[in-house]
Amino acid sequence: MPTLVSFIIVSAALLGIGIYGLSVKRNAIRILFAVELIVNAANLNFVAFSRYMNPPQVTGQVIVFYSIAAAAMEAAVGLALILVAFRLHSTIDVRKLDKLKG
Amino acid sequence: MVAIALEIPPDVTFVILTTITLLAAILALQAKELIYGAVALAISFIGIAGFFVFLDAPYLAMLQIAVYVGAVVVLILFTIMLVRREEVEPVERPEEGESAVGLWVAGLLAVSIAGVAALAGPNLPSSMQPADLPVSELGPVLAGQYPVPLIILALLLSGALLGALVLAKVER
Repeated sequence: MPTLVSFIIVSAALLGIGIYGLSVKRNAIRILFAVELIVNAANLNFVAFSRYMNPPQVTGQVIVFYSIAAAAMEAAVGLALILVAFRLHSTIDVRKLDKLKG
Repeated sequence: MVAIALEIPPDVTFVILTTITLLAAILALQAKELIYGAVALAISFIGIAGFFVFLDAPYLAMLQIAVYVGAVVVLILFTIMLVRREEVEPVERPEEGESAVGLWVAGLLAVSIAGVAALAGPNLPSSMQPADLPVSELGPVLAGQYPVPLIILALLLSGALLGALVLAKVER
């Protein structure tokens, strides 16, 4: 039977993959992928922790319910922003979208 | 426990799910074509849904597949098709040093979290208590214990979708 620690390790690995994508990738859509992976790592932790409680709880599942809805919103707004950026600058390379840089 | 887990030992199920999820996540970021990356991301989300089933949260697994695979990935695919143009698609080749630094930071973070978890291992619960958490138990907690967050979430959802619509609208 897998322990809680093994779930934490999977979640940490997923977080690491997400952080790598967030810091290295240049394509804005790719960065959105990384954000979604990080959110999923957090969700996995919530469900695992609440399941391993004694007695098992559903509170973690409720939090993940909210989190999934929030992630859907974030994806919709993020993709709309990417579309606008593409329309204005005809690129989605985040290294070139540096108009706000002082 | 799940029906599959009755025949396959849970440890094997766990290892298979871990492999699928992590490999698909890496592929989502490293695939040459963005479209393949989006498909790999969908597979990774399905792996997470498998974990949810494993943890006796079938409702969340359903929600995960419906919202992430059904809505988010499809939205991403549409955006890729709208944005894609051969000359516009940036070459995904970060500078040598940048990639190494990102790998170091991410690796250090993941290893330190996993290390802390492993150190705290003896104090963490190591076995699942047998429990049935039926979907009907989720409703009272959602609507009875946390009604205000639910209403705020609904308002936020409609606000965000309207905002996305306004942002993406083409002025004529």
